[in-house]
Amino acid sequence: MNLICNLFSSIFPSLEGDGSQREREQKIDSSMRFAVLGLIKGSVFWLLVASLLGLIVSVKLISPTYLSEYAWLTYGKAYPAFWNALVYGWLFNAGLACVAWIIARLGGRPIGNSGVLIIATAAWNLAVFIGLFGIFRGDQTPYRMLEFPTYAAPFLFAAFIGIGIWILLAFKARAYRSSFASQWYALAGVFCFVWIFTVAQVMIFSLPAQGVFQSVVAAWFGGNLIGLVVAPFAFATIYYLIPKALGQHIIGYRQSGIAFWSWIFFSSAAGLASLVNGPFPAWVASVGVVASFGLFLPLSVFTMQFLTSLFASFSKIWDTVSVRYVFYGVVAFIVATVLTIIGSLREVQELTQFSQFADGVRYLFLVGFAGMAFTGMVYYILPRLLNKELPNSSLADLQFWMQGLGIFLIAVGMLSGGYAHGSLLNGSTADTIDILKATDSYLFLTALGFVIAAFGNFAYAVSFIWILLSPRTEKEKSAGLIEPAPELEYTHS
Amino acid sequence: MNRGPFIFIGVLIIVSLSWAITLVKPIQEGGNLSPVGKGADRVPALLAGLAEQGREVYQEQGCVNCHTQQTLVIGSDLERGWGDRQSMPLDYIDQNVVFTGTNRVGPDLANVGERRTDADWHYLHFFNPQIVTPGSNMPPFTFLFEKRKIVGQSSDRALKLPAEFQDTIEEGYEYVPTRDADALVAYMLGLSQAYDIEEAPTPEKLAYK
Repeated sequence: MNLICNLFSSIFPSLEGDGSQREREQKIDSSMRFAVLGLIKGSVFWLLVASLLGLIVSVKLISPTYLSEYAWLTYGKAYPAFWNALVYGWLFNAGLACVAWIIARLGGRPIGNSGVLIIATAAWNLAVFIGLFGIFRGDQTPYRMLEFPTYAAPFLFAAFIGIGIWILLAFKARAYRSSFASQWYALAGVFCFVWIFTVAQVMIFSLPAQGVFQSVVAAWFGGNLIGLVVAPFAFATIYYLIPKALGQHIIGYRQSGIAFWSWIFFSSAAGLASLVNGPFPAWVASVGVVASFGLFLPLSVFTMQFLTSLFASFSKIWDTVSVRYVFYGVVAFIVATVLTIIGSLREVQELTQFSQFADGVRYLFLVGFAGMAFTGMVYYILPRLLNKELPNSSLADLQFWMQGLGIFLIAVGMLSGGYAHGSLLNGSTADTIDILKATDSYLFLTALGFVIAAFGNFAYAVSFIWILLSPRTEKEKSAGLIEPAPELEYTHS
Repeated sequence: MNRGPFIFIGVLIIVSLSWAITLVKPIQEGGNLSPVGKGADRVPALLAGLAEQGREVYQEQGCVNCHTQQTLVIGSDLERGWGDRQSMPLDYIDQNVVFTGTNRVGPDLANVGERRTDADWHYLHFFNPQIVTPGSNMPPFTFLFEKRKIVGQSSDRALKLPAEFQDTIEEGYEYVPTRDADALVAYMLGLSQAYDIEEAPTPEKLAYK
């Protein structure tokens, strides 16, 4: 595989010489400006919705009468609405924006068909809207990350096919024959979502499996949605940003193939570990536990690659907004994956099962890792796409610290609160109300985290609208504002 | 690695493998269970009509986000009196949507019909959980009750609140359960896995091993 890679990169067509690199990049950017901006707009909108819902959910856990007179916003509806807005609204829009841009930029050619991407983006956001509306209306299904009512699914599916086709066409139209790890992950994420979403919809709703097996399918889907769709999009951005924004090639890039295939292989069953001890075939849960353990292999490769690359230019991390987010994301990824692996053990699950522990790991993985990586990427894309400087970098600083602190508090609150809750719930016969009392301070910590994160998210929205609306300065009107990023090094070890 | 189709086929093979082994195979092996026995001895027991409608209310309100419906023989479920044995796939074969759930903010409900047998308890609990379980963080489902002005004699279906909660509702008004509340309570009363399944692990069987 690496041999082929080397072979192709040695006979690369060099595009240097036909116009300046920046001008060429600008042609690529302008071919998809409206469409990618649309995805980013959608992501920022849903981020605000999700942070508001997250805040409501966390307050409701402490004070159950809060907003309880609204039937459409009872905890049982706000909670799935929060997670779905977070994943399908914020992370999918942001992730697809990053991935579409990366594919086009790495392809080295302006991409046509931006109309397809624009229409598909609009349809996707409409589908998320319909889905959330359905949950509030009372049409939710009881399966984690599949709560959108069945009538929203065809829209979601069709819209994703549209975006996916655009990404595939953009990949196919590339000028360079060789491909970079970011491109593998982008394609894998697109393929996987189509496949797992079809499986889940057919096996749960169209031709439903009998009884508990619907829950097995849902656990499989939920794990894969995170591991095979959101995570690959985030890996794509990290593999892209470290060389481009930090100017540091990925150390140990040769091992990327191993990391890629082992991640796909082990994560494709890791979600089943949550079925341990339940009314499900025990060996299915065991496959999940073993698969979770397999994640150590890709985790060690990712840790080695990302951390050594980041540490090699450590002093520059804090000077670059994008890379700071990547650093946070990488650390969150390592912590969350280690917790996923340890948390899948039967002995640990006997203490944490059915508690907020799993939610905490999920939140850390989705928002701390993928969300932060996407935010960093958006901060890299925006100035280039709009040919404007970030109007206020201290606002971006503020946002980073607020979001960083908020995510940290939420994760700590959910993880330690979940552990305290679960060990009392599963390991003792303490009264459920007393258990609740014992975890009160953790619930409060989580709510505090949601408040702080909401401020950070709001700062992000302000920052985004500001750069959209601010007029260009004289310097910005000339094309040479942004220094060309270093070429990606395909075969460096 | 440089071509799209290679990645496509590789990913397809891996994900299909995972699908075939962890989903298709167990469903073929164990996803074709039929009920055992007939009539009153049928296992699993069937829900009555109103309780079936209560399932829909349960789904609409998203109860599954805080309550599981699976008792485990490992852990302290049985000592808590949440069931007598491990829940088995056979328990769920009549359910077109299953509420096994993944979060226990509140207690497990697989056998709630066995331990909470008083319908009035459930009505008061849904109206305001603080009445019967003070300190609970379950939200009140007041919207499942109809607020009516008392004209003449009060309705015999109106909620009878304990004296200390009388002042939480407006003077001269009463709360009458809607059909949704009736269905949900019927569902709660009907939720039970209190029949024997031979293969189901119980503490005695585990101890014997």
